[in-house]
Amino acid sequence: MVKNITIFTTNTCAYCQMVKKYLGAKGMSYEEVNLDEHPHRQAEAMALSGAMTVPVTVVTKQDDSRDIIVGYNLAKLAPAVA
Amino acid sequence: MSEATKKTDIPQHDVIVIGAGPAALTAAIYTTREDIGTILFERAVVGGLAAVTDKIDNYPGFPDGVDGLVLAADLQKQAERFGAVIEFGEVLAIHDEGDLKRLETTSGDMHARAVLIATGSDYKKIGVRGEQDFYAKGVHYCATCDGAFYRDKRLVVVGGGNSAVQETIFLTRFASHIDLLVRSTIKASDVLEDELQKYVKQGKVTVHLGTTTDEIVGDSANGVTKVVGTTDGKKVEFKTDGVFVFVGLMPNSQFLKKTPIRCDEIGFVLTDQHLMTSMNGVFAAGDIRSGATMQIASAAGEGATAALKIREFLEGRAHPVQN
Repeated sequence: MVKNITIFTTNTCAYCQMVKKYLGAKGMSYEEVNLDEHPHRQAEAMALSGAMTVPVTVVTKQDDSRDIIVGYNLAKLAPAVA
Repeated sequence: MSEATKKTDIPQHDVIVIGAGPAALTAAIYTTREDIGTILFERAVVGGLAAVTDKIDNYPGFPDGVDGLVLAADLQKQAERFGAVIEFGEVLAIHDEGDLKRLETTSGDMHARAVLIATGSDYKKIGVRGEQDFYAKGVHYCATCDGAFYRDKRLVVVGGGNSAVQETIFLTRFASHIDLLVRSTIKASDVLEDELQKYVKQGKVTVHLGTTTDEIVGDSANGVTKVVGTTDGKKVEFKTDGVFVFVGLMPNSQFLKKTPIRCDEIGFVLTDQHLMTSMNGVFAAGDIRSGATMQIASAAGEGATAALKIREFLEGRAHPVQN
């Protein structure tokens, strides 16, 4: 079971829009961290993902385990939020 | 025509469009306006490469240009207004079962009376040492996604076409300096080249013509640190924090490996003058089609043409397959 979801995004990132659309279509709520508005949180996104890219989606489960999905990757995102 | 139900457990649609870029969405606008049930399968981004392009200046009807994301969202809205349905998923293969095509998808099998392949293209890789090692950790193919990680840092952009120049201009909003490595000469439009020259004059961009990119160098602690190239037969080095690559396009046709549809030697789908492929009832339009001009306006035009040809096909005005 999903406890909460955080997505790191930027204003111009089309793949970020797709993650948001996908979660929206599933009726799932999420917290968005826009790195254009909060550039000081870039390091956090990089530390979580190991990459310099967005979107980074952090799915926290009820047992506090986490799935971190880099990019718009349905093969990983769909089971993580199922 | 309306959505039909066949005596089978497999859902059936009039038209399945593979992809949701400008060609696919334009085709869907045309088919759904004529009540031809249409479902689109998109594995990546609605709007395709157009959606990840910062600004589009050559699509008609937008005198001041249009943001790629905005154009993509508006195309989607227009197609959905007439009833097009966009599924998040991937088509894995197409099987010819006579009057129906069976599509293996990540959502299960589906039948369609006609299929449009509009999967577009993606940015090519250079194929040099270091490129794969630093993928998304210093080597990038989407400026609008990853440019923000390079505020006040040095960048190298590789390429000399419209995309390379357009994205170099976009990246100037973040980077302190950009070295643009161009294998031969710049082949972008005059408008883009003039815009680029403004940044060259400001000292923000340096263009290196006749320069190949040979290696991307870095380490796990610092990421990418430099690019090694060759100019006039001499080794050259460019200090950098990251590399963005825009060296042309490759077709998104890998899923056709299990499907007997003819492609050219690069993998672009071959069609006849009706935009039909070598499989009866399966059409192709946009960047994925062999001979396409790789322009958003052309893709939209081909999408409209394909939709009209599909309508003729569904009405029984057959187009004999030309092998």
